[in-house]
Amino acid sequence: EEDEQRRRKGLKPLARQSTGVAAGKPRELLQARKQTVNLEGMVGKVQVVQASSAASGQPGFYCSVCDVTVKDSLTYLDHINGKNHQRMLNRGMKVASETVDDVLAKLESLRRIHRQRLEQRSIEYDFHEQVKRQELLKEEKKQRRKRAQAHKKSKQRQQGGDAETSSGVHNGGGRGGDDDDDMLAMMGFASFGASKRA
Amino acid sequence: MANRTVNTALYVHGTNPQYLIDKTCRQRIYDSLYWKEHCFGLTVTGVMEKAVDLTAIGGCFGSTNRPTEFICLLLKLLQLQPDRQMVDALVDQEDFKYLRALALVYFRLTEKPKEIYPKLEPLYKDYRKLRQRLYSGKHEIICVDELIDKLLTEQSVFS
Repeated sequence: EEDEQRRRKGLKPLARQSTGVAAGKPRELLQARKQTVNLEGMVGKVQVVQASSAASGQPGFYCSVCDVTVKDSLTYLDHINGKNHQRMLNRGMKVASETVDDVLAKLESLRRIHRQRLEQRSIEYDFHEQVKRQELLKEEKKQRRKRAQAHKKSKQRQQGGDAETSSGVHNGGGRGGDDDDDMLAMMGFASFGASKRA
Repeated sequence: MANRTVNTALYVHGTNPQYLIDKTCRQRIYDSLYWKEHCFGLTVTGVMEKAVDLTAIGGCFGSTNRPTEFICLLLKLLQLQPDRQMVDALVDQEDFKYLRALALVYFRLTEKPKEIYPKLEPLYKDYRKLRQRLYSGKHEIICVDELIDKLLTEQSVFS
């Protein structure tokens, strides 16, 4: 559109204006993030691509605000920290300027939080309660393992055939715990025996 | 934009206050995850919040010259240039030793000797221990008074 015309003339494209609800209001001040950026959430996951735009279908880090895909986690952070993205969120690049009073007030609130944390720590620790809690956890683990074993046995009964040998192998190696089994299940190896699909 | 010193900042010792940390270390800080994720958009109170959760002091360490969170926050303070009263408040408070260490180093970097000696010398009586991340990557214990001694007598600290 306009950007095309400007590019033909050899001019830079216009700075992106914030769109949607935020447009029209005066720009807010730059704010720090309250939550951490999720860079590793999609690692190892498989997802069907439902590309609503050319950029959203690309592999990499997709920014929905600007409709841009970036290939690199550091470049992605640079993008979301950058001027264009902040403008889209109707934020300027300046931080709020602060005074001594803000600093002193913040010190007070930090002290309060610190004191509360110390108090909580001294309240929470009760030896007998801890012992009870640990015993409960042990029981739960035992129950979970029993359930998992029973589940596996029923599955192998369904598959038949090499059931004897596979269960033998399984019991030998499976004592290590439920976590391994969950991991294997996630990777696609539900059991060592012949699977239904074969 | 995220790496620029604040508009209202005055030059310190004849340079941009951020240049008080040398170029190699500064560049490593700008490229680090902690700086980009956590130090973006911080104000002085934001820096205080992060400083309270620090667990070590130090500069850049390891073969990749990875910056400690401490020095990232230090660079952030240099970028923001809090005024003298704020820094005084942070140095004088005794509750949070890593915040105090951060404020001390900032003070030592930016102020003149006439201000530094009266401010830092009385704090020799602070015997609390801090964890320092050495260049090798290992941790070592250093006391606040040892840190002040280094700040007052050595040419470069954390390098």
